[in-house]
Amino acid sequence: MIAVLGLLVGIVLGFVFQPDVPLGLEPYLPIAVVAALDAVFGGLRAHLDGIFDDKVFVVSFLSNVVIAAGIVYMGDRLGVGGQLSTGVIVVLGIRIFTNVAAIRRHVFHA
Amino acid sequence: MSEVHHKHTPDAFERVRTPLLTLITQESLDQDYEVVARRAATADAPAGGRRPPRGRAAVVGVVAVFGLLVSIAAVQTSRNADVDDADRAEIIERIDARRDAVADDQQKLSDLRDENTSAESTLVDLGDLLNRTQSQLRGLQAATGFAAVTGPGIKISLDNASYADATSTIRDSDLALLVDALWSAGAEAIAINGQRLTPMTGIRNVSTAIEVNRVGIAAPYTVLAIGDRSTLASGLLDSGSGLAFSTLAEQYGFQFDVDNEDDLRLPAAPADIGRLRSAKTEPDSVNRAEEEGTS
Repeated sequence: MIAVLGLLVGIVLGFVFQPDVPLGLEPYLPIAVVAALDAVFGGLRAHLDGIFDDKVFVVSFLSNVVIAAGIVYMGDRLGVGGQLSTGVIVVLGIRIFTNVAAIRRHVFHA
Repeated sequence: MSEVHHKHTPDAFERVRTPLLTLITQESLDQDYEVVARRAATADAPAGGRRPPRGRAAVVGVVAVFGLLVSIAAVQTSRNADVDDADRAEIIERIDARRDAVADDQQKLSDLRDENTSAESTLVDLGDLLNRTQSQLRGLQAATGFAAVTGPGIKISLDNASYADATSTIRDSDLALLVDALWSAGAEAIAINGQRLTPMTGIRNVSTAIEVNRVGIAAPYTVLAIGDRSTLASGLLDSGSGLAFSTLAEQYGFQFDVDNEDDLRLPAAPADIGRLRSAKTEPDSVNRAEEEGTS
């Protein structure tokens, strides 16, 4: 419950301050968001499975964001940034779908 | 982690053989959750029970960061969408402007084409007019002696008597009489010693020489006249001036021969004697003359 409050606080802060993303970081923001989404859904599923752990969640969140942005950065340097970000989004998307399906089974028992 | 790998070593081959997509689907949940849960279970501690406040605060902070990221990304995307829309609107505006310009140009093109057509028809009209005027001009030049003409006619050879002295040579008035006789006999073009007679031509004496078209000529004189040969020679002797001339010729013993010629060529008079310096054309009179000529 308190986590939902944190989410709301973050969203409100973002909309109130509307910080400018530096131009160099702009391409990596959407990838970071998708990676964070994967970590958040993973945490939610673990919570519903009853095996949630604070440390694992924090570490997986940070590592997901950093690794996803890092892969895309490396792709940009190698000239395959677009393709690599597509690959990252496909893998993360599959994980998100699977996690959401598990969450759905927990919530609706179906 | 090393512990995990040791535990799952038999699974390592399995893992390598699993297709990538299947692996992704199977491991969609971070395995660390299971590992930690298993470790907690072996340590016989309640899984949900031990949550230090520090860890919970970290979770809340991470979730807040997540919300921040999401909102920033959304704001940034909508901002960029504004820029994209502005770009698109500007491009559409530019396209419209160019389209208008093209329509204007096409309108101009068709206008010019119309002008071209009318100018071409004007050109054709002007060409016709030019042709008519040129043929008219040629006719007038031939009639007035400013263009060379050819045709059948008579050749008159005239010379002083062999015994002639200064008082009995051929004078300008004698030649003028002959020319008058030829005109009245129906001559259409006359030349004396290659000098074509025009309405401006004078025949006059300068001391003993005779000038025609301000060019001096001397005996023997050759008078060429183009006209109807059947009437020219006979008409020459019938007219009053012709009779007067033949009387003079007999009196002073001029050598006088008339020959019929099939093809005479009479040169044009020098153009400068036809130049009008004081006389001006009256446009009305020209039109009237033209109408009378055509009617």
